[in-house]
Amino acid sequence: MFRYTLHRLLAAVPTLLAVLTVIFLIIRVVPGDPAIAILGDNASQQVIDAFRDRLGLNDPLWVQYGRFLAEIAQGDLGSSMVSGRTVWQEVGAVLPYTIDLTAASILIGILLGIPLGVLAAVHRNGWIDYVTRLVSLLGLSFPAFFTAILLILVFSIELRWFPVISRADMADPADRLYNLVLPALSLGLIMTAYVTRAARSSMLEVLGEDYVRTARAKGVPPRVVVLHHALRNALIPIVTVIGLYLGLLIGNSVLTEIVFNRPGLGKLIVTSLNQRDYAMLQGLMVVYACFIVVVNLLTDLTYGLLDPRVKHQ
Amino acid sequence: MPSTPNSASDPAPDNAGVSDTVLSVRGLTTAFNRRGHFHAAVRHVGFDLQRNETLCLVGESGCGKSVTALSLMRLLPGRRQCRVSGSAWFDGQDLLALSEPAMTRLRGARLSMIFQEPMTSLNPVLPIGAQVGEPLVFHRGLSRQEAEREALRLLDLVKIPDAARRLRQFPHQFSGGMRQRVMIAMALACRPDILFADEPTTALDVTIQAQVLALLNDLRQERNLSLVLITHDLGVVASVADRVAVMYAGEIVEQAPADRLFARPSHPYTEALLRSIPRSDRDVGELRAISGQVPPIHRMPAGCRYAPRCPVAEAACLDATPALAPLPGDPAHAVRCRVRNPAAASEGRIGHA
Repeated sequence: MFRYTLHRLLAAVPTLLAVLTVIFLIIRVVPGDPAIAILGDNASQQVIDAFRDRLGLNDPLWVQYGRFLAEIAQGDLGSSMVSGRTVWQEVGAVLPYTIDLTAASILIGILLGIPLGVLAAVHRNGWIDYVTRLVSLLGLSFPAFFTAILLILVFSIELRWFPVISRADMADPADRLYNLVLPALSLGLIMTAYVTRAARSSMLEVLGEDYVRTARAKGVPPRVVVLHHALRNALIPIVTVIGLYLGLLIGNSVLTEIVFNRPGLGKLIVTSLNQRDYAMLQGLMVVYACFIVVVNLLTDLTYGLLDPRVKHQ
Repeated sequence: MPSTPNSASDPAPDNAGVSDTVLSVRGLTTAFNRRGHFHAAVRHVGFDLQRNETLCLVGESGCGKSVTALSLMRLLPGRRQCRVSGSAWFDGQDLLALSEPAMTRLRGARLSMIFQEPMTSLNPVLPIGAQVGEPLVFHRGLSRQEAEREALRLLDLVKIPDAARRLRQFPHQFSGGMRQRVMIAMALACRPDILFADEPTTALDVTIQAQVLALLNDLRQERNLSLVLITHDLGVVASVADRVAVMYAGEIVEQAPADRLFARPSHPYTEALLRSIPRSDRDVGELRAISGQVPPIHRMPAGCRYAPRCPVAEAACLDATPALAPLPGDPAHAVRCRVRNPAAASEGRIGHA
């Protein structure tokens, strides 16, 4: 298992490098001079040139690229061109909100999605299966902001159970949880829809396997056949889906954070985009890329835990 | 000698549970749903299985051998896809009428089954020891640790070298032959009365086939086990069978003690099967494949199911379904052919039961 972990870690390095290169190029390919964007259209050419010089934008591309990589290697992601604060400071301020939201929605997705998917597969073509399929289809079809607005309408405006604007006091655990419920539900339900579908199809496949028949042939009770023999095998593709949709979750969290007016990485990225804060944007993209690489690494490591064939390779 | 079943409506035989008959199957019919219509893949199958006997079910692919065993083990899908009727008396109870929980208590404890594909029949994510010991946990109430200790003895029993280390390994670390040994160890864990072995050696190398077969045969004698061995390999039949039931298109067409079947094959299909195996010890003339194919279950011929491929078929064969009836003067040897067995023609009505 240690060698496998090391292997996966090393394999993540070239991935990260490739992603960083793409980020660097994208930022420089997009139209719009950041200097003009920051200084305004009325700035004189002299000022603009001086500003570009200060940002190093007049250097050759490969010099900029080298500097970019060297800075990242030192953990320096640059500073916002608007607020002047470093990317780390800006990210650090909203990271707890994002982690809360992401973790809670994944938890909801797993806790609801896996049992629902398993139930649907075991009672294939029964009413549980039809209801589950219908609900998960709705979950997949609704855009994130739509679910969020529905939740606000019902639980905040009609029932007045939860706040419309979820801006929690992070120091107070009760307030933190209270403000998390609706945003987490709105994202978590989408996650549940994905996990349910993956769990159902994966379970259906596994339930048809020969080793499930073997388990039944040796008199293992049906519950144990499903939960012990089948589910462990079915979890492998489910983990893949959860890993994949974690990336999607980040995209959806932008919408959720805007609707609930909740601080977070997603909102930060949209704000930077609107302000053409390209240094900030670049830093945030690096943070996201690292995040995805870590998620993939965790997914791989989970395979190793679930499937003995993986770690013996 | 066992009585030869010839009618679907036979009551449970009087000797069930008293004599050495451990399993008595009558009128077993299994039908599968194909686009809303049920078609019988197995029809009116009946046999008696004696204690410590090897009964071979023989026939080409798709003739219903596996479905017969899976029906008796009740491992087929539910009523929407598949319907099983008839009776199978085992220890005073009808397997086909038992509740599902009662059947779960019998499976792996008194009735066991091993399968054709050792590569896919073991759970890839569970260690071998846990899988082998599992029946003991559920049927004997052993703890997981006790079951694992017992699993070690079982792996020794099926002659897996270095069993203590092997216990903690996973299926992918085992060869096909070793996996089939693991399957046998698992199936025998609770000392069952009957073992259904569905083509247990088909997926294995020839040399390994002989070893596994010899192992099965030894264990059968040692443990007073009744073995239902499903195979299409007549070489296997000749080496281990006490009695043989030849199946064609879901029906038993000939049933006899092994030596008598080989000495005097009476159904044209059995003859054709025997002619189609190469023999080095004796010149049997030209090897002959049987022309044509087994009819699909939704397009079974009306009369004798073998008639369209049969070289001796007469016009009457196409009209009436022959019965599986004992040959005159040989009550243990039953043949379902009106041409070869006059007794079979007189009970043609059973096909409509």
